[in-house]
Amino acid sequence: MATMIDTLNTKDFQNHFVVVHPLDDVPEQKVDTGALGAIPMTWTVRISLMSLRAYLVLMMLLVFYRVVTLAGWFGHHG
Amino acid sequence: MNNRTIGVPASGLKTEVVPVRGRVVKSKWTRDLLTFLMVVGPGLIVMVADNDAGAVSTYTQAGAQYGTHLLWVLLLLLPVTYFIQEMVVRLGIATGKGHAAMIYQRFGKWWGLFSLIDLQLVNFLTLVTEFAAINLALSMMGVDPRIGVPLAAAGLMLLVLTGSYRRWERAVVLLCLLDLAWFVVAFWLRPPVGELVSRSLIPNMPAGGLTASLMFLVIAIVGTTIAPWQLFFQQSCIADKRLRFADVKWAQLDTFVGACITITAAGCMMIAGNASRLHGFTFTDPARMAADIGSFAGGFFRNAILLLMINAAVLGTTTISLSSAWAYGEVRGWPHSLQLPVRKAPGFYLVYLLCVALAAGLVLIPGAPLQLIILGVQVLAGVILPSAIIFLQLLLNDKELLGEYANKPWNNYVNWTIIIVLFALSLILAAQVAAPNLFPAG
Repeated sequence: MATMIDTLNTKDFQNHFVVVHPLDDVPEQKVDTGALGAIPMTWTVRISLMSLRAYLVLMMLLVFYRVVTLAGWFGHHG
Repeated sequence: MNNRTIGVPASGLKTEVVPVRGRVVKSKWTRDLLTFLMVVGPGLIVMVADNDAGAVSTYTQAGAQYGTHLLWVLLLLLPVTYFIQEMVVRLGIATGKGHAAMIYQRFGKWWGLFSLIDLQLVNFLTLVTEFAAINLALSMMGVDPRIGVPLAAAGLMLLVLTGSYRRWERAVVLLCLLDLAWFVVAFWLRPPVGELVSRSLIPNMPAGGLTASLMFLVIAIVGTTIAPWQLFFQQSCIADKRLRFADVKWAQLDTFVGACITITAAGCMMIAGNASRLHGFTFTDPARMAADIGSFAGGFFRNAILLLMINAAVLGTTTISLSSAWAYGEVRGWPHSLQLPVRKAPGFYLVYLLCVALAAGLVLIPGAPLQLIILGVQVLAGVILPSAIIFLQLLLNDKELLGEYANKPWNNYVNWTIIIVLFALSLILAAQVAAPNLFPAG
């Protein structure tokens, strides 16, 4: 377990565990996200982003419709 | 606990030797407990802070209008909120970066900017509602808000300016533990235990059936329990705390414990609302409800509920402002850590301070359109939530990015179901706007 140096090599610390707070620990090697670039456009990613665009357009149209209705442009107040 | 502090030179570093401070323990059980206590924080904080001022208002209103009939909705939301935040845990630990940075890097500038602007806008409006709640509660306690609100804002600023993540986390965890007082309030109001259990476990409808106001309230409960800022906050918080791959299971446990506390506290708020309803009071806002409860339960309970309301708003403010500051810092490439002193991360702290100061200032302007802002929060949160979760789900299926930490098939079944339900609720809300007579009035 990387949270601790499991059992120290020295005889004194055999069968003991050292628990280290994350902020006191050695910085861990993470995924190099900078080298990865953009996400691959798989079928799922493409469909998801298209659905999201459609959803956002629909929401904007609804907000526009609501504003127009409240402004009374259709001849009545919603 | 039989342990002591030692210093161990870290191995594996090519250029420098960093001393690692640890605690020596003898048993595996103690090791696990201590590790959990060191990891606990981001999950607990994000979950408890989710019961912010808006949530207190929504849950107490649900209790005041529909009694304990909607407890089952809360129980249903427990796994939902856990599964969503648990994905953030894996993403944060694997990448060591915040959510805004990941959207920017993997989905490009357009989606990155969209997410960031949407988040900043909805966060700011939510902050205004937090200070509005502080204003309301202080007024009810007889404290002049013109003094109390700036004092609360100053305290919230000082909380982050210590240059120590640990100091901030300890203070905020303490505030989270204060939230447990909701359990005491609910217990003393003597709720019918059998009814609570049956209405939590068996889905049931209040008298009158599915009306427009019930539908709105259910959507509001869902929207309150799962909020977009939570994704951004927890991932950045995990990155700032530098949680390690080995911490994944403890961070998941931290999130689960937090989810259980927040859902149970939400249930207690419903019980408080129900108690005021049973005594014949009509709900207007949580501060008024506290005064109503005080009239039959005593002044202690009145003040306790008002203080809990302020605590909820304070927790909400520090976490939401931090989610904004972290996200902005990540995207702009500024230093962005609570571990850094102000002079080393001026932009990060400036965003936090501006969020708090502007929201507090707006609330103090006489005649500020607070009702319009609250409505704006609900609409914007409804729009941003499904989109934020879509990005999260796609990132969690990104094997290039996450490798073994990517979603398993069962994760995807659960998460796509949650996403579809959230989209459906958003569309119902939208349909309700377009056709107000869709559901019977009630």
